[in-house]
Amino acid sequence: MAKVLVIADIKQGVLKGSTAELLSKAKAIGAETAVAAIGNNIESLIPSLATSGSDTQYVADDPGLELFSAGPYACCVVDAARQFGADMIWFGFSESGKAVAPRVAAQLDAACATDITDVMLEGDQIEVIRPAITNKVIQRVKVNAGQLVAVVRAGAFEATEGITGTENVVRLSPPAPDLKAVIKEIVSEASGEIDLADADVVISVGRGVKDQAGVALVKELADELEAGFGSSRAMVDAGFMPHYKQVGQTGKIVAPTLYMAIGISGAIQHLAGMKGSKVILAVNKDPEAPIFNVADYGIVGDLFEVVPILREEIKKIRSPAG
Amino acid sequence: MKILTTVKNVVDVELNIHVENGAIVEEGLQYVINAWDESAVETAVQLKENNNAETTLVSVGGGEDNTKMIRRGYAMGIESGIQIDDAALAEGDSFVYAKVLQKVYEKGDYDLVITGKQAQDTDNGQTGIILAEYLGLPCVSNVIAIEVIDDQHIKVSRLGDAGTEIVELELPAVVTVDVSINEPRLPQMRSIMMAKKKPIDVMDLAALGTSHDEIGGATLKSEVVEFMAPEKREGGQKFEGDAAEITAQVVGLLANEAKVL
Repeated sequence: MAKVLVIADIKQGVLKGSTAELLSKAKAIGAETAVAAIGNNIESLIPSLATSGSDTQYVADDPGLELFSAGPYACCVVDAARQFGADMIWFGFSESGKAVAPRVAAQLDAACATDITDVMLEGDQIEVIRPAITNKVIQRVKVNAGQLVAVVRAGAFEATEGITGTENVVRLSPPAPDLKAVIKEIVSEASGEIDLADADVVISVGRGVKDQAGVALVKELADELEAGFGSSRAMVDAGFMPHYKQVGQTGKIVAPTLYMAIGISGAIQHLAGMKGSKVILAVNKDPEAPIFNVADYGIVGDLFEVVPILREEIKKIRSPAG
Repeated sequence: MKILTTVKNVVDVELNIHVENGAIVEEGLQYVINAWDESAVETAVQLKENNNAETTLVSVGGGEDNTKMIRRGYAMGIESGIQIDDAALAEGDSFVYAKVLQKVYEKGDYDLVITGKQAQDTDNGQTGIILAEYLGLPCVSNVIAIEVIDDQHIKVSRLGDAGTEIVELELPAVVTVDVSINEPRLPQMRSIMMAKKKPIDVMDLAALGTSHDEIGGATLKSEVVEFMAPEKREGGQKFEGDAAEITAQVVGLLANEAKVL
């Protein structure tokens, strides 16, 4: 039986949904599952790690792991992988996963695949599916090394309802700090905001919103809908939106239920980051904008006129009585 | 400070790419400098200009396209170039490239390696990080700013999950940069002309002191066995006309047809 070790996606002390999604997929392909949880003060997450579908929980809980540092995190993953005898090690889509996965692969002499959307297992032979060339092609990749380290694309797998696991905790010894790459601080502009990665609705702004006033107009809509608030690269480069909000090839990959592209023309790098959304709504004054080629619903019009109406109409629908 | 930076020549993603019988159709493809590597080159050149660094650019792969990548680096301000040209490099993965780069690194006396965080042909984002592991050097990926502290230390900003991570690195070290670190310069005509005359140190694997077997070329950890065209997402309904009317209509559809509101 193949063994899959899933690295728990923990952000600000909260276990993210991708962990259960990955464990569900691992069970679906008939694998034995374990999860590795790495962080500080994460004791309280252990029961939910088990109920997410893991049969063993490797836990590294140490003050030295409070701030993300790729070296020590990789040490914990390698330790867990060796103890478990993992054939595959899966990370949810995250910047930390992308930083740690290649290190773990190099240390274990395993293969490494990022951004996978599917995995097939036949006997011992592992194959994965992943997009490449800015989503212009899909690759089927055969793993020759016995072991695979993979980063799974956001939204690729679904959590199975009623999945269960058993609590069987194995403590990992705290890793040595990386004295040559010392994490000094994490400057967070995002505290209290809705994480783009888990939002059901994501609303992004592009060049069409023009300036800070345009950003504010769309943000009001995002706040009312409790939506994640994202951006095209143009608005980040122009300094109107922070880097971490960028959706696209070089930023965040999102796959929400509803994605609203407001004033975004739809460069392929942006499309690569949101094409997996269930439903896409685009508002753009240029009827030829490429975003309309992927949008389920397109409104051709002046966003400054459309967005306030959009807010009113959505309000009406959400509170029919009022 | 001696800097080694890397460049990969990649397919132009702005053009259409066709897949036939499990392979990419070569005809009509054009090759360009990988955008992330272009930012890595610009980062190195800025460190040269502001901190007296010495810069070397290496490309792994043969042919005229790779020579062009080095010349482009020269025109941007890079001082010396190495091209690793060997037929055995036709098939490779991130581990193979990292092994080759390890050999290049070991031949020089570098303080800092700067690579793009990924290449837009494979979108793997692994080579720089694996190189650091092979060399046993500290590494930070997805870097958006570099500040030189002294001869032995730099401070970098990395875009992480919880915000911008500020990390102090002891040199020698490896960093992989995001395109948002800078706006690469457009070389002047004069620099482009000068760059054409500059020599390039071309080496095969033997000259580099290694072999196809040693770099793992014969034992790839994974290989692409098939290319497919992505599922096409079709555009749906597009509404034009009175803003109030069409917006109300679309909200109705989002609620009742798509059931996402």
